[in-house]
Amino acid sequence: MRTLFTAGLLALVLTACSSAAPSGGQPPGKLTVWFPGNSEAEMKLVKESIVPAFEKASGADVEVTYVDWAELSPKLNAAFAAGTAPDVIGHGVAATADLAANDRIEDLTPYVAKLEGRADLAAALPGGQVGGKQYIVPLIMTLRMIVYSGADFKAAGLDPEVPPETWQDVRAAAEKLTEREGDKIVKAGLVLPSNPIGIQQSYGTLLWSNGGEFLSPDGKKATLDTPQALASLEFFAGLYQGASAVDNTLGATWANSPPAEQPIVTGAAAMQLSNAGDIVKYQAAAPDRDLRLMPPPGFHGHGPRAFGGPANGLMINKDSRQKDTAWQFIAHMMGADTSLSYAEALGALPVRASSVDSPYIGQNAELRKAVEALPVNHANPNVPGWVRMRDAMGKSLEMALHGKLPAAEALKRATADVDKIIATGS
Amino acid sequence: MRRAPDRRRLFGLLFVLPAALYVAIFQLGPVLYGLVLSFSRYSPLSREGAVFVGLDNYAALLDDPEFVQALLVTGRYVLQVLPFTVGIALGLALLAGKAFRGVGFFRTALYIPHIVSLTAVSMIWLWIYSEQGLVNDVLALLGLPEQRWLVSEDAALNAASAMRVWKALGSNMVLLLAGLHTVPRELYEAAKVDGAGRWARFRHVTLPGIRPILTYVVAMDVIYLAQGFPEIFVLTQGGPYGSTTTVNYLIYTEAFQYNEMGSASAMAFVLFAFIAGFTVLVIRGRKS
Repeated sequence: MRTLFTAGLLALVLTACSSAAPSGGQPPGKLTVWFPGNSEAEMKLVKESIVPAFEKASGADVEVTYVDWAELSPKLNAAFAAGTAPDVIGHGVAATADLAANDRIEDLTPYVAKLEGRADLAAALPGGQVGGKQYIVPLIMTLRMIVYSGADFKAAGLDPEVPPETWQDVRAAAEKLTEREGDKIVKAGLVLPSNPIGIQQSYGTLLWSNGGEFLSPDGKKATLDTPQALASLEFFAGLYQGASAVDNTLGATWANSPPAEQPIVTGAAAMQLSNAGDIVKYQAAAPDRDLRLMPPPGFHGHGPRAFGGPANGLMINKDSRQKDTAWQFIAHMMGADTSLSYAEALGALPVRASSVDSPYIGQNAELRKAVEALPVNHANPNVPGWVRMRDAMGKSLEMALHGKLPAAEALKRATADVDKIIATGS
Repeated sequence: MRRAPDRRRLFGLLFVLPAALYVAIFQLGPVLYGLVLSFSRYSPLSREGAVFVGLDNYAALLDDPEFVQALLVTGRYVLQVLPFTVGIALGLALLAGKAFRGVGFFRTALYIPHIVSLTAVSMIWLWIYSEQGLVNDVLALLGLPEQRWLVSEDAALNAASAMRVWKALGSNMVLLLAGLHTVPRELYEAAKVDGAGRWARFRHVTLPGIRPILTYVVAMDVIYLAQGFPEIFVLTQGGPYGSTTTVNYLIYTEAFQYNEMGSASAMAFVLFAFIAGFTVLVIRGRKS
C-alpha cells in the first residue's frame, strides 16, 4: 500500500497542474536560478559575490536555490510538470538531450553566437550541444587522468619523470607497482572507478583511446560489437582477473569519497584514474606521496582520449518569461574572472583555455597539465535516453569485470540492450 | 424525538470529515490516480500529458527480464529475512518476558534500532560492511579472510538481509512480548499439572496463545520487507549487476531516472498484488 501511495502521490503531484498546459517560468521581476550540488565554498561565492555583482550591474532580482544532485532531476521534472521550473537551470550535461527532446529548454545557439571570446571556450562548448545546437553552457570541465605517486614509482624502480605513454605501458608499470601478500593484493598498481556509473566512464576512457565509440555518429545504433570495444573491455577486465591482476577495488565506491580516503592518497594504490581537477586536494591530503598527473595515454596506434568535457552548466527554461535576463546571468557567469573563481571554489577545471595563465592554474604544475590536456576530452553521447543506455550497458560491463560473462558476450548483450532502447525511443 | 440523534450523527460526520478528506485526497486519491496512470504512458517532462495505452505497461512487464528478476530478488529478500526476524524476536520476547536485573535496559537496547530511520541505519551499516569496516575487522581477529560484503553478488543481498533482521528485531520483540502477556497464566499452570514440559507448553499453550499477534507481525513484516528501498538505495544501489534490485528500487529508477511514470505505476500495482496475495495467505494460514 505504501508503494502505491507513494507512486500515486508522486504521479498526482507531477500531473496535478496538467502537463498538457504550458509550464511557465517565474513571473517577470525575479530571476530564479537552480544550481546543483551542496558545496559550501560554491554557495558562498555564488550568493555573496557573483549574484550581488550581477544584480548591481543588471538591476535584476535573482533568487538562487541549491538542489542536491540526487534530488535535482525528480524536483526539476516535478517543477516542469507543475509549471514552476526556474528560469535558469543548472544541471549535468547528461540531462540535456532529454530536456531538449521534450522542448523544455531554449536553444542557446543564437545567444552563444554573440558571446565574446568564444574561441577561448572551444574545448567546452561542443559538449553542451545536442544535434548541433547549443542547449547548455558549461560552467566547469572535468577530465579523467591518471594520478600517480612519484614516491611509489621510485620505490618500484620506475622513473616518475617519464610516466607511461600508452595504456599498455600503464599496465606494465601497474604490474611492477602492485604489491602482494600471497594471493592478496595489498597495494594496487592501478585503480579505475568501477562503481555502476564509474564503470561506464572508465570504459569510455579506454574505448575512445582505442579508437572506439559507444554509438554511431547519428546516435541510431550501438557500436559495441567492434574489435576496439572488445580489446578495451578485455583490458579493463584484465585489471581484476588472473594472477597478474593489479586492481583490488572492483565495485568499490571510493570515487566519491573525501580526498583523504582515496586509494592514491592513503597509499592503497600507486596509480588511480581520477578527476584531474582533484589533484590539488589529493596533494594537500598526502604531501609525502609526490602525487602527479600523467598525460592521458592512448592504446598503441591511437591518440589519447579521456572521459571528460563539461561537468555541469546552465540552461534556460523554454517557458521563461525573461530569457534575455536569464542569458545575461549566464553570460555573467561565463565572464573570464567569474568563471575562473567559480571553478576554483569547486576545485574543478575552468572552461576557458586562457585560464592556464591564471594564478589558480599557474601555481600548480599538475593542474596546468590538466588544463592543457582538456582538448583530448571526450563526452558521453548527448542523445535522448542516454541515462537508460548507460545503465543498461553498465550492467553488462560489470558482469564482464566480475568474470560472470566473457567480454564478447557482455558486449553483445550491451549492444542488444542499447539498440532496443534506441528503437523504443525511451 | 428524532432530531437529537440526527444532530448527533451530523456532528459525528463533521468530526470525521477532516480525517476522511485527508484520507480521500492524500491517500486514496493518489492510489486511484496511480492506477489510472498505470494504463498510460507519461513522462513529467513531456508536454503531451498522459497518453492512454491500455494494458501495454502490464504486458511489457511480463516480457521484462529486469522486472522478473526484481520480483525474484524481492521474494528472496522477504523469505530470507522473515524467518530470522520473527524467530529471533520470539526468542528475545520470551527472554525479555522474564524478570531479571537489567530487563528494562535489555528491552530498550533492542528497541532502539526500530526508532532510528532506516536510511540512517543503512549508512551506519555501509561503514560496518566496508572493506576496512567492523565486520572485516572481526573476521581478521578470528583469522578469517575479509569479505567484500556489498560488491559481491553472493554476499550483497545476504548482507542487506542481516541488517534488516537486526533493524526489525526490536519492534517484533515488543509486539510479541505484548502477545505473550495476553496468554493466561492458568493455562501454563494447568499444563504443568498435566505434566507438560517446556517444549510442550511452548507448542501447545504459547504458540496458540500468541497466534493473532504472530499473524500480525508476519503480515506487517511481509508488507514492509516487500517494499524494501532505503537499505538497497544506500547499501548497494541495486548492484552488483542488479542482484539486489528489489521491485521498489526498480520503480524508483523507472520513475525518477527514466521518467517512465506509467510503467513505474504498473510495477507498483503488480507489487501490490503480490503483497496482498502473500498477506491473504498469511491470514488464511492463521485461520486454518
